[in-house]
Amino acid sequence: MAVKEKRNIRKEIHNKLDDNVMQGALAKFTSEYPMARLKAYANVDSIDDLRDDLRTMKRWAVDHIDALADEFQHSVEERGGKVFRAADGDEVKKILLQICEENGVQRIVKSKSMATEEIKLNGALENAGLHVRETDLGEWMLSVAGQKPSHMVMPAIHLNKEQCAGFFEQELHEEVPSDISYMIHTARRVLREEFLHADLGITGANFGIAENGAIGLVTNEGNARLVTTTPKIHVVLIGYEKLIPKVKDAAKILRLLPRNGTCQRMTSYMTMVSGPTPIIYKKDGKWVEENRKQYVILLDNGRLAAAKDPKMKQVYQCVRCASCLNVCPIWRMVGGHVYGHIYSGGIGAILTGLLGNMEAFSKFSDLCIGCRQCTTICPGEIPIPDLIDELRARYVKKYGLSMPEKTAFQHILTHRKVFHSLLRIGSVAQKPVQSGKFIRHLPLFFSGMTDGRSLPAIAAKPLRDRTEDLCKHNPKNPVMTAAFFSGCNMDFVFPDTGESVVKVLQDLNIAVTYPQEQTCCGKPVLGMGDRDTGKVIAKQNIEALEATGADVIISACPTCAETLERTYKELFKDDVQWRARAEAVAGKVREFTSFVAEQYKAQGRTLPQAERGSRITYHDSCHMRRGLGVWQQPRELIKMTGADFVEMKDSDRCCGMAGAFGVKYSEISKPILHDKLENIGNTKADTVAVACPACMMQIGGGLNQQNPSVRVKHVADILAECIAER
Amino acid sequence: MEKVCADWPAKAFDEQLVSGKYWDEFAENTKAAATELIHAGTWQEAEQLLQGLVKDMEAKEILAVGGEENPRLGMMYQHLQSNGRTVYTDKFDIAEHAPQADLGISTAEFGVGESGSVCVDTASYESRVTGMLPPTHIVFLQADHMVKNIDTAFRVIAKVYKKGYMGFITGPSRTADIERVLSLGVHGPGRFIVIAVDEPAQRRA
Ligand code: SF4
Repeated sequence: MAVKEKRNIRKEIHNKLDDNVMQGALAKFTSEYPMARLKAYANVDSIDDLRDDLRTMKRWAVDHIDALADEFQHSVEERGGKVFRAADGDEVKKILLQICEENGVQRIVKSKSMATEEIKLNGALENAGLHVRETDLGEWMLSVAGQKPSHMVMPAIHLNKEQCAGFFEQELHEEVPSDISYMIHTARRVLREEFLHADLGITGANFGIAENGAIGLVTNEGNARLVTTTPKIHVVLIGYEKLIPKVKDAAKILRLLPRNGTCQRMTSYMTMVSGPTPIIYKKDGKWVEENRKQYVILLDNGRLAAAKDPKMKQVYQCVRCASCLNVCPIWRMVGGHVYGHIYSGGIGAILTGLLGNMEAFSKFSDLCIGCRQCTTICPGEIPIPDLIDELRARYVKKYGLSMPEKTAFQHILTHRKVFHSLLRIGSVAQKPVQSGKFIRHLPLFFSGMTDGRSLPAIAAKPLRDRTEDLCKHNPKNPVMTAAFFSGCNMDFVFPDTGESVVKVLQDLNIAVTYPQEQTCCGKPVLGMGDRDTGKVIAKQNIEALEATGADVIISACPTCAETLERTYKELFKDDVQWRARAEAVAGKVREFTSFVAEQYKAQGRTLPQAERGSRITYHDSCHMRRGLGVWQQPRELIKMTGADFVEMKDSDRCCGMAGAFGVKYSEISKPILHDKLENIGNTKADTVAVACPACMMQIGGGLNQQNPSVRVKHVADILAECIAER
Repeated sequence: MEKVCADWPAKAFDEQLVSGKYWDEFAENTKAAATELIHAGTWQEAEQLLQGLVKDMEAKEILAVGGEENPRLGMMYQHLQSNGRTVYTDKFDIAEHAPQADLGISTAEFGVGESGSVCVDTASYESRVTGMLPPTHIVFLQADHMVKNIDTAFRVIAKVYKKGYMGFITGPSRTADIERVLSLGVHGPGRFIVIAVDEPAQRRA
């Protein structure tokens, strides 16, 4: 048995970042993908309607999974197939070896099946002396090379043609030029022999239809069609999550899967096999026709438990198109190998966890930065980052946090005064805080920042010490009162922006209060999965905000706004009292720019065109655009200032900060930032506006070193300048 | 020849769903999928076009299915048989010669506008090897047997699909596994040709 692999993820990441072949391929692919995908959807009325349909159908399926599995089994058996149910990989192997023995099987051809990778089937079959061949070109090359696929749809995307030619040579013991068409034709010739001489074909399935027992296979090469045609026996390995009720439901998958996966309206082949189908072969020198044998193995391996889990059952909505990887900023940097053993990207982390390897999950789950890009594109509408958060929380609950994190979270963050005095100390002597390991996971900790990005200093006087003076300027007859929740970043790093927020609100005839008892919103600890500490912090903030009695609660940090508005409610979902209090607070929370834009409209306000002559572009924070759904309003506000507004390319792509991530994985964060800076530079804007202090820190730091002529400003600062002009 | 449905037009087609009005979209999308689409007004014209194609590709051994259902097609297959060219129409002959054949000819039930796919009922072994093993695959299709999209395609399919082997073909076999460079003909045919005929097929009663 293989020794349990000990992985050094950090080292693997460095290797991937240094792999120029892979970096080039992924950069090219990910930049072309979004447009190619939209082109494939050009003749569809509403992508979201299709996604809704798919999700609804798959939700029904998971809620009826046992009945569906029974019906599917019955349908297959009624037609003459045989169905097995396997609890795990070992059972699958036992069943398969039995089938091979009973039928005198020696040669096997396979068509891509992630499930067989998941249970490491090939090795087991080969150990039993069987000849097994992958037939998907990419998979075949990788199996020859002893590598694993790095992408669910494009397994060999990390390789170039020279490397591929090397694998061909290794396998065929002949000289192979690195000519793609030559290699393809060589593969055709070699694998054709495999198809023609195989005794048994193994496939996965893209779906399994309960109504008639058909399985569906989607391929471009046609290998699945051959694997299910030439051999006398067909074995299907299908996970429970692939079952759907009716024949017509397959359309719901097929209208999305090829478009999202390979940017095609349909793959070259879509094949359905229901029951054993005829085969013609030579028996004792005579041609005969009979039905092939069909065996279907339904694989559990953690899936049935997931189906009963109210949150995790959402993984059943996955159709394995891999588009969540294609838009993931982290996958684009590190490729697929760094993730779990088979399934990569965010969904890969989740599947790895659910299929029983929580240890592996915990190792790379923080490679999801929660930018939610995947959620906008996933055909099954799976909230991938939320499921990762959930699994992380479960992991922490079971195994706890590592010591330094525990110290920081439970002993420092929960004590607001201790936490804030540490930050104050930091402003006097930044050194000790920077090197102090214990707080490196908090949004303010700059220890990992190095070249390519400057660090903002902790302000000499935090916002909380300035608000008493600021609030003296409150209007006499306010239209409403606002409690300002600043968040750590604005409080200690960008207090000037905090002042701008207050000024803009006051200018709208709103009285502002600043509750001194407020503390960090808790996102950093919640992101690490420590919900217990998160609850302690949340209670402090809820109490502090309640005490103000304000009409609205304003946050100019989208992460804080999202946490106050959404996360607190969920945190207390089992605590009636606190849930009600969290809901009351949430009901008042407003993100700054959307609130101001609404007030300007309501009050019929205009702004002096103070920014005339300047050229401003805008960067969407992930939490703002996809978390809160706010993106038009900040743009409207900028345009109101008279500035020349210019869109940058990929304005809504993550800047690479993503809370603690930018610090912990600065080596990944920096190239992401680099792309962002390039897009900003190309706009020729003199100012890049943001509505999130974390983005301001990341982009500001980068510009400071790489393009100091461009300034970064929070929308609040831009507005406050206009007001000063009045 | 074993089929999922012996007579698709009679058993599965619903005039609301199947109509020639989706032809234009079908034609456009087949192009995007690298299908070679040929439009013939009559079976006679179709036969001439087929003869031309076969001559150009210098096919010597041809697998041909669907001639029993459609006498016009059956006749065409006979006519193809000449000077050193062999056309196999018997299922055992097809099975035997499939690995070396130069060309496979078969039929499709209907086309799908949205994707440029053709729905193929390949419940029989001979129809599958005919479409998969030779380097070129030609498919006959009736031009007004079109549905709007994949969704309607499945509404049609659902009426008759109880058992057997079927699906869609949308262009030739392709791969982009090496450097994402598109290459045709990796395991299946590198050329996929659809001959769509306006004139209704005279099905054998
Ligand atoms: S999670 Fe969604 S986007 Fe990712 S592979 Fe599954 S269906 Fe595709």
